[in-house]
This record gives sequence, C-alpha cells and structure tokens, in this order.
Amino acid sequence: MSSHSSSTSSQPAPFDLSAWRNVPTVLMVIGGIGAVAAAILDPKHAAFSYLTAYMFFLSFGLGGLILTILHHLFDAAWSVPIRRINEHLACLLPTLALLFIPILINVLMAGNDNIIYHWIVLLKEGKPDHAVTSKYPLFTVNSFVAAWVICGVVWTVLSRGLRKYSLEQDKTGSIECTRTLRRYAAVGVFLFAITLTLAAIMWMKALQHEWFSTMYGVYYFAGSTWTTLATVYLIVWLLQRQGPLREVVREKTFYFLGSLLFAFTVFYAYVTFFQYFIIWNANMPEETFFFVSREHGVWFWVSMVIIFGHFFGPFLTLLRIDVKLLPWVMIPLASWVWLMHYVDMTFNIMPVMFPEGPHVSWMDFACVAFIGGLLVKLFLKSLNAHPMFPQKDPRFAEAMDIYVPEGKLAQAVGARAAKATSGGKH
Amino acid sequence: MADVIANVEVKAPPAGLEREPLVLNQRSLGWISDAIAGVAEGKTPRWWWIAFIPSVIAMTVMTVMIVYLLSTGVGVWGPGHPVMWGWAIINFVWWIGIGHAGTLISAILFLLRQRWRTSINRAAEAMTIFAVMCAGIFPLIHIGRIWLGWWLFPLPNQNSIWPQFRSPLMWDVFAVSTYFTVSLLFWYMGLIPDLAVMRDRAKTKIRKFAYGLFSLGWTGSNRHWSNYEKAYLILAGLSTPLVLSVHSIVSMDFSVSQLPGWHTTIFPPYFVAGAVFSGFGMVLSLLIPLRTILKLEDIITVRHVELMCKVVLATGSIVGYAYAMEFFIAWYSGNPYERYAFINRAMGPYAWGYWVMIGCNVIVPQCFWFKSIRSNMLIVFILSIFVNIGMWFERFVIVVISLHRDFLPANWGYFKPTWVDITTYMGTFGLFFTLFLLFIRFMPIIAITEVKGVTPQADPHHPLGGAKPGGHH
Repeated sequence: MSSHSSSTSSQPAPFDLSAWRNVPTVLMVIGGIGAVAAAILDPKHAAFSYLTAYMFFLSFGLGGLILTILHHLFDAAWSVPIRRINEHLACLLPTLALLFIPILINVLMAGNDNIIYHWIVLLKEGKPDHAVTSKYPLFTVNSFVAAWVICGVVWTVLSRGLRKYSLEQDKTGSIECTRTLRRYAAVGVFLFAITLTLAAIMWMKALQHEWFSTMYGVYYFAGSTWTTLATVYLIVWLLQRQGPLREVVREKTFYFLGSLLFAFTVFYAYVTFFQYFIIWNANMPEETFFFVSREHGVWFWVSMVIIFGHFFGPFLTLLRIDVKLLPWVMIPLASWVWLMHYVDMTFNIMPVMFPEGPHVSWMDFACVAFIGGLLVKLFLKSLNAHPMFPQKDPRFAEAMDIYVPEGKLAQAVGARAAKATSGGKH
Repeated sequence: MADVIANVEVKAPPAGLEREPLVLNQRSLGWISDAIAGVAEGKTPRWWWIAFIPSVIAMTVMTVMIVYLLSTGVGVWGPGHPVMWGWAIINFVWWIGIGHAGTLISAILFLLRQRWRTSINRAAEAMTIFAVMCAGIFPLIHIGRIWLGWWLFPLPNQNSIWPQFRSPLMWDVFAVSTYFTVSLLFWYMGLIPDLAVMRDRAKTKIRKFAYGLFSLGWTGSNRHWSNYEKAYLILAGLSTPLVLSVHSIVSMDFSVSQLPGWHTTIFPPYFVAGAVFSGFGMVLSLLIPLRTILKLEDIITVRHVELMCKVVLATGSIVGYAYAMEFFIAWYSGNPYERYAFINRAMGPYAWGYWVMIGCNVIVPQCFWFKSIRSNMLIVFILSIFVNIGMWFERFVIVVISLHRDFLPANWGYFKPTWVDITTYMGTFGLFFTLFLLFIRFMPIIAITEVKGVTPQADPHHPLGGAKPGGHH
C-alpha cells in the first residue's frame, strides 16, 4: 500500500473552467422554462419525465447521505478528506424534497387523465380495486402527502445535522462533534433505510400498484449508491486537479472509491438478477406482469442495455486493480454510470406511459436540465461556502498515513516528501 | 496549494478515539511465534481432554442415530404431513450459515484490506470447514436411501436419468461442494508458512515429518512468498463470489417456490446477511473462551472482539430490515395467503419461535451499539450464544411455520421433533467440536505470519518499523 499512499504531487495544471461557470444557471433556466412548457402542453408526459429525472437525481442526495452515515458508523479514516463532498451531496436532499412538489401537484390537482399514479385515479373515481383497498390506509392521498413530509423532514434533519457538526468541528476541533455525528449516524441509518424504502415504493413502485417485491428498496439503494460513488470519484478528481484537494487526496482514496464502485456494480447486478429470477421462476401472474410488460417492444432492448451497460461493461472495466487509478478510464465511466442509472430509472417508470418502448422527448431533457442545473448550482454554492475537507477531524492524521502525532499538516507532508526524494524508499 | 493545508492541524486522536494496536503490549515477533505455536506443542492440557471426551461421545451418539435412521427409515424423524421438511433442512441451513464467517473474514476482509482479520481468520476458516461438514450430513441422510446419494451428481445412472438441473436442491450440491473445496484449499494454503514454522520448531521425528510433509518444502524465500501472495489474492477473489453465492442458492431452496412465507425476492441478500451474522456469532462463541484459556489476549484483543460485535450489529440490523420488509410486503401485496402466513408466524401456535427469533436476531444485536457491552467479554459471549439460537429459530420459522398450516384447514398440523431429530442435531456439535479441538491441538490456530505482518515493526511508515538509517533490519 505504500506506493498507493503517496501524494500525487506532480499534478497537471488545473483546467480553466471559467467558461463553464454559468452553465448550471443556463441549464436551470432553460430546463425550467422547458419543464413548465411541457407541463402545459402535455401534463402527463411531462409528469412522467419529471418523475424520471427526479428519481435519478434523488439518488445523489440519498447516496451522499448514506456515504456520510457509513463513514461515521465505520469510523473510517480514508474517507475523511472527501467527507465534505458527501455532506454537500446529502444537503441537496431538502431541496430535492421541495422538488417533489410538481409531482404532488400532479397528484392533487391534475385531471384524472393526467395523473401518473393509476391508484389515485381509481380512488378519485371511487372505484378502487383490491390492490388499492388492501393497502388502505397507506394508499390514500393523505398518506401520499404524509410520506413526502416524513421523508423530507427526516432527510433535512439528518443531512443538515451531519454537516452542521462537521463544520462546527472545523472551528472548535471538539471531539464531542465526532461523538454527536456518530449518534446522528446510528439513528440515521435506520431512518435512512425506512425513508428510502418508503420513497422507492410510494413514488416509483406505486406506478404499478398491483406489483410488489421485497427487494425493491434494496434495488433502488444499490443503484443510487453506485451512481453517487461514480459522482464522488469525478468530483474528487476534479477538485484534486483544480487544487483544493490536491494535498489531501491520495491514490488510495481513488483506489477505494473505485473498489466501492466495483462492489456496488456487482451488488446492483446481484440484487437485480435475483429480483428477476425469483419472480420468473415462481411464474405467478401477479408478479410477472411487471417484467412481461418490460419485455415487450423496444423495452426488451432497453433491458439488454441495462444488463450489458449497467453491469457487464462497468464490471469488466473495473476488474483490473490499476484501472481504478486511471482518470482517462474512470471519468468517462462515471458519465456512463449516470447514463445507465437514468436508463434504469426510465425502465422502471416509463413503460407505464409508453408500453411499446421508450419515447425520448425534449421534455426528458428539460426536466433533467432543470433539476440538474439547480442541484449543481446549489452544490457549488455549498462547496465554495465552506472548507473543502474536514479541518480538524481526529482521523485526519490516519487518513494521511501520518504517524506524527502533533504539528501542522503541511510540515508533515513536506517532511515526508523530503524523505521520499532523499531516497527513503521502503 | 500548500495554502490549503497551511493551517490544518494534525493531532493524535484523543482518548477514547485511539486505535488500539492489533497486537498489544508491543510483543516481539518471537513472542508471537511462541504464543501461537506453543498451543499445539507440549503436553495436552487437561481442559482439552475435558472438552474433547464429551465431544467424541456426542459424535458417537450422532453416528448411532444416523445408523438407526438408515436402518429404520426417515420415519424416525418428525416430518410428516403437512410439515414434510423438518429439522434436517433447518440444521443444514444453520450449519451452512455458520460456515460463512471464515471465508468472509479470509477473502472479503482481505480484499477490503481489513488488517484486523489476521488474528481470527485461521480459526474462523477451520470453523467454516467443520461447519460445512456438519451441514453436508443432513442433505445426504435425509434422502433415506443414502446409497443412492451419488444420483445427486451429474453422472448418468443405469437408467440414463440425469439429475433435475432446474431444482435449487441440485444447485445446492454444486454450490456447497464448490464452496467446501475452495474453502479447504484457501485454509490449507494459508497454513503452509505456519506449518513450516511448526516444522522448524518440532522436537519429535513424527512431528517433523508430518509438518514437513504438509508444509510442502516451504523455506520462506522471496519466490515462495511472491507465489504465495499471488495465490492468496486469486483464491480470495474466487472465494468472494462463492461466499455470496452459497447462501443465495440456499435461499432459493425456498424463494423460487410459490409458497407464502418462502416466495420473497429479498431472500438471497437476507440469507447472506443472516449467514454472516450467525457465522460471526459462532466465531465469538469460540474465540472468547479460547483467548482466555490459551492466554492469547494480546493477539485476539478486545478490539478484535469489538469489531466482530459491530459486524454482528450490522448484519443483525440488515436481517431486521428483511424481517420488516417481508411482513410489510405480505400486507402490501394484498394476498390473503401471504398475509395469513405472516400473521400466523407472529400470533399462531408457533409464535414463541417467531418472537425468540426476533428477540435474538434483531433486539439482542442492538446491545452492541454500546462500547461497555462490546468490551465486556462475558456479556459478548452470552449474547453470541443468543445469536446462534436466534439463527436456528429463523430457519425453524421459515421451514416449520410456513408449512404447518396449508391452504386448507384440513391440512393443518403441529410439528414436533422426535428424540432422534434432537440427538442427531446435538450430535453434530460433537462432530464439530471434535474436529475443532483436534485443530487447536495440532495446528497453529492463528495465522502467525499474518499477525506479524500487522505489528508496528512490520510497517515501514511506523516510527517503530521499517528501514532505519544506518541500521539493519
């Protein structure tokens, strides 16, 4: 591990990103206008496009939250320098909760022809089927709103709390902050599991309310964490290249992120395969219809894209140890991961509206641009408003592989660099 | 960019957050060899005989029960309409689950670079192999006509009939036998450098010959180490999917069916989590007394025990999530049979079994949130026994409670095990502990070379370790 632990001091020059500064705002504005236009022109299609984009971006917030929680629960050291990124991603959740309002509007105010959840249409028409009545009182409009409130409150409290005490420790260096963060994480991991499952079921699975699978929450969790890990890799690489994380991020950071991405590539495939296989093998119509409808028309080929693009491609790419350290492989792969997760969300949501195959529309792009632009803008604002990495975390020395108990980090890094250049190889 | 870190202070972790060393009291490399190899040398201690003799007796009872079963027929066991699967499948799944910790520690924790695994991996691997052996007994004897057991393998028999490849029970045969083979190879390969240590320390000709034979001429040369490390990595890579696949496939014995209570998509990851949970429970049950009896507290430290408790906590919580999801989705599905199956679990005639399961597998592990409990060896030992009990009851709940009330009330019944069921199961403990005690007596129970590798002396970055200017090392 010694060779992997060295700081990457001979870095290439930072990119000139000044020309990209306004891109998030432009995307947000154009996307927002497009989304509003879509909602006027074709409210149902717009709502489906919006929900697809929403569930895609919700993954980033939930992924950031669970990575922060796991960092504290596992008392990890290697991830200390990149924890702030996860915290900022998690802090997108309050905004994401508000971004669900258009879906609520669809549920509460749209005409029956335009509501995307068929069970709500059945309720409003006063003709709920067995699959709806048996879910009473969960499947009522009030409960739908309550689920949103619960998720929003839990996510806001957790994400804000985890960042608040992290930032406080930057100033005070108090060990109590670490202890408080661990308490947050201990409670938070249970609340996270409950709310993620609730969101996945109520917002995505309930599009076909007759269908059920105990794996569904795990399935959404696996895809979300996978996508977030790729995103964190990309952000860390960019921040290292640009400077803010140059001295604190090490090769092992990228290696571990890459390994986790690899692990979640396999975990997602494992979960998805068994969900499909168990239902296929039992062959009960009340379950199989979900997959049968996704084997029709062009959706079959989308499922092939998911099998090969979501699993085999990343799996074979990440199999080699050294690949996890190669930006020219990992950065395009991160983009590919986004695409695959979006395709996965589309595969879950869109067959309800378009049973014969996907309809790629400008509305999809508008919704992605609006939510994505807004979230990137907020993320960058958070990033610039606070120190880029935890300043006084008690595990910082360990993260940096430094055994010097006291002193300035710069001196310790400098001392080690001097030792390395003087031929102090191990 | 040095400005970014100019004011960042690096401090040693404060009290309460320090990481204890993996070998306590700055023990020397020689002390480590003596402490571990010494367990398998010298006169056999009295405690060993006190444990060994009852184990052999229990194993003998198991053998007698198996002979009785084979000579009389499977009717000596409890299963009958409507519970056609009884303790045999429960015991099989329970022992297989226990057999998950060893390879998980050896392979997955190795790939995750968890250095703390070194003090516990050897004993856990041995436990894995013996547990899989205990597990393997039940599928073989439950077929009744054991002499036709070879039909399980894909060999055309005299009627040119092939096994039913679409049955998950067949997949079990391949999964478990592959897992056993790779686990055995992995265990043996890790033993080779330590067997050479035993060979070099041996004082009798028999020991020298035996250890010499099995250490395969190991000299500790660079070439040997290089090949060893490569092979270890490859075997770790091969073992990792095997660890996950075995219990996933075992879970399919139930989940691919259409039976309420069995057919649920979360079974594979839930079974794997449960297997790791029970495996670590058994590792704790075995190693906590051993570390005291063998005076190995400086190598199997409180930190190791705490970390294992955390694994138990994590996997217990995952299992708890799975229980909750099963119940929730049974309700969500609107299927009256699914709903009844779960209500019957919690409130039916076997409700006591269900609540023992919930208590032991979900509530007990939550105690491990507290450091004061994790670091109290007596309490951890007791709780680890509860984990083992809870996981047996989990399989009891799945098998018996799901079967004892069929779709029609006319097909309802109440399963009771026979004395043969009970003594056969108890007898497997005899087999397990006989093998484990023999392992303790003749093998290095901790990976000597690997433990040395995690001492400060072996770390080139540590102030106590690595090359020193002008010095020899």
